[in-house]
Amino acid sequence: MHRVQRVSLGEETAFRDGHLTVRAEEAVELLASPSLADVRVTWVSPGDSARVVKVLDAVEPRTKGPGGGGIFPGFLSPGRPQGRGTTHVLSGAAVVSAGFLPRAQEAVLDLSGPAAAMSPLAATHNLVVEFTPAAAATWEDVDRDLRAGVLRLAARLAEAALDAPPDAVEDLPVPDPRDGALPRVGAVVNIQTQGTFKDVFVHGRSLSGGLPTLVDPGDLDDGAVVSGQYGHPALKNPTYLHQNNPVVEALRRRSGTDLVFAGVVLSPEPVDQEQKQRISAYAARLCLLAGFDAAVLTKEGGGNADADVAMKMDELEELGLTAVGLFSELAGADGTGPSIVVPPTKATAMVSTGNYDERLVLPAVERALGGDRLDLLDVPATEELELPTAVIYCALSPLGWGRLTCREAA
Amino acid sequence: MTRVVHYLNQFFVGIGGEDAAASGPASIEGPVGPGKRLQALLGDDFEIVATVHCGDDHAAGVPGADEEILALARGHQPDLVVAGPAFTSGRYGIACARVVAAATRAGVPAIAAMHDDNPGLEDAGAAVVVRSGPVAREMGPSLDTFAAAVRRVVVGEPVTGEHGRIGRVPRRNVLVDANAAERAVDLVLARLAGGGDSEVPLPRFDRVPPAPPVPSTADVTVALVTESALVPDGNPDGLESARATRWLRYALEDVDELAAGQYRSVHGGFSTVFANEDPHRLVPLDVARELEREQVIGRLHREYLVTAGNGTSVSNARRFGVEWAAELRRSEVRAAVFTAT
Repeated sequence: MHRVQRVSLGEETAFRDGHLTVRAEEAVELLASPSLADVRVTWVSPGDSARVVKVLDAVEPRTKGPGGGGIFPGFLSPGRPQGRGTTHVLSGAAVVSAGFLPRAQEAVLDLSGPAAAMSPLAATHNLVVEFTPAAAATWEDVDRDLRAGVLRLAARLAEAALDAPPDAVEDLPVPDPRDGALPRVGAVVNIQTQGTFKDVFVHGRSLSGGLPTLVDPGDLDDGAVVSGQYGHPALKNPTYLHQNNPVVEALRRRSGTDLVFAGVVLSPEPVDQEQKQRISAYAARLCLLAGFDAAVLTKEGGGNADADVAMKMDELEELGLTAVGLFSELAGADGTGPSIVVPPTKATAMVSTGNYDERLVLPAVERALGGDRLDLLDVPATEELELPTAVIYCALSPLGWGRLTCREAA
Repeated sequence: MTRVVHYLNQFFVGIGGEDAAASGPASIEGPVGPGKRLQALLGDDFEIVATVHCGDDHAAGVPGADEEILALARGHQPDLVVAGPAFTSGRYGIACARVVAAATRAGVPAIAAMHDDNPGLEDAGAAVVVRSGPVAREMGPSLDTFAAAVRRVVVGEPVTGEHGRIGRVPRRNVLVDANAAERAVDLVLARLAGGGDSEVPLPRFDRVPPAPPVPSTADVTVALVTESALVPDGNPDGLESARATRWLRYALEDVDELAAGQYRSVHGGFSTVFANEDPHRLVPLDVARELEREQVIGRLHREYLVTAGNGTSVSNARRFGVEWAAELRRSEVRAAVFTAT
């Protein structure tokens, strides 16, 4: 693991003594595609009076060695399970794509001010990728090519650190649910599967139509899950958080102390009720077969996705497994509405990642990337904004990154 | 000295009962009726400078009555608005709740008192409501609770269940030390050990019993309503694609089809590609017109009602439902087809 402490654009792409330099022309070449007429890269850093609007995805630079073998399977390397061997991580940096795509709900990322504490990407140096689509390109092509280019760029940045001494080395053991007498706790990660612009990829393919599956947690570290989901800004799970899944991190940290990390189940979030029921029952059965005593469940999306978590929690409890779900609250601007659209009925242990509807004011900033205007409010992107928390990128992170919760204000 | 304005209905200020229920908002200097006892309980640090009153039918039934009443109250520069006690009186409770909700929205501290079963409790928004007895016979103890809570509100102390608080307590976002993933693992371990409190209360939803079936559709007006966010191309009224705060209506008179390109869904929660190829997939005007010609239905309503059902707060959704029901009833619509996505 290499900590990025300073960033700049320069003559060569290099990493020395915590300083990451990027040759902009090289970054642009890596992103070149027939569907993109023009690509621009710009750094923003924590504390800057800067805002990124229309944020699409964020990726942490990682590589497994020269040539890219094994990282982002299904995109940069063959679509097969990874997670073994050495992975080089540029910690404290991200490649962030931003701009207009259809069906993308505008996300706002502030690098300073009151929203900065709410977003993981406000604490990283971000190489922001802006783009102009080619006239003849379809939006689907733009989306696909942009995603591939961002992953190439992220891997290339990490390669710059291959010869640098690491700042830290983490050994991440493969979970063995047969270990010991401690409770065996796993993660169930629901993945949105609602078609183009609302899809997430596992080894390069959508989980849509598939069944829940048990994965090696190390596979997540190597980029097995890549986001192409642009709805509900505060409830997005960017690629960056799949690479750094907070529930997996929490389970790993405590594994062998007060629990045993039992593994990760990835599950699609189907859109119709019958399939939600089938997939939920299947996921619960899989947890049982994998030897879980308990599971932490996460979602991606709004009220519809609450149902997938709630139904799985109930199915797990039916099988005698303990279930805890992470939910955002939809309690209205004044916080007095019912919080959950589809609550569980048998399993009732819920953790709140905050109220989607509570409003906050973001001060004006000196510069904005990702677009000149915030279409949602029809104002220049640099202006003071009054917004619901729902618009702040990753502010209600369903993967549990954030420190927001709700308390009663008596 | 804390300046207090007290809201009462026509009955408690002594204007009359049902015969005076239509009377509009008005104001009297100083405390009146139960206000006199409340003034005595609050003591010399408080002054009920005025009593604003209104007939229950007007206050609960006329749109904007809450703002009218609040404007009268604000004319007396109150530091605090108090309303009730309304006991189990429905229209009075709704009026008290809306007045304190309006005051709270306007930044004026406000508190109401009513019984737990009063339907007005739902309308109080973020304002504090404390318990009263069920009937006016319990005015004495109800005012004791009310006065104690008023004192707490004025100095900014929390009013909790212990102080008689009822209704919804606003939930506010706060940053805590541990992230949600760590808290979830803590909760798993606590649950495995037999304890652990959920951070989210289980909601209680309204259950609305379905209306009885329409005996014959051949002689009634049928409406098309939808949460699919189908609007004329260009979204002229700016319907939100998510977290809708309002609904819209579009004319269907002399419209026989919703042509691709002329209508478009702005819904942010699903892929609208197929729907936009044929908007009838969202609002089935084509089939409805056929049924109208074949006299399977009497008449199609002259407009369709639309909002976007995507991340909509339950409180807004409830309001849309109430407003749609009232709107359709006024138009003598007897049945509606609600297309959802």
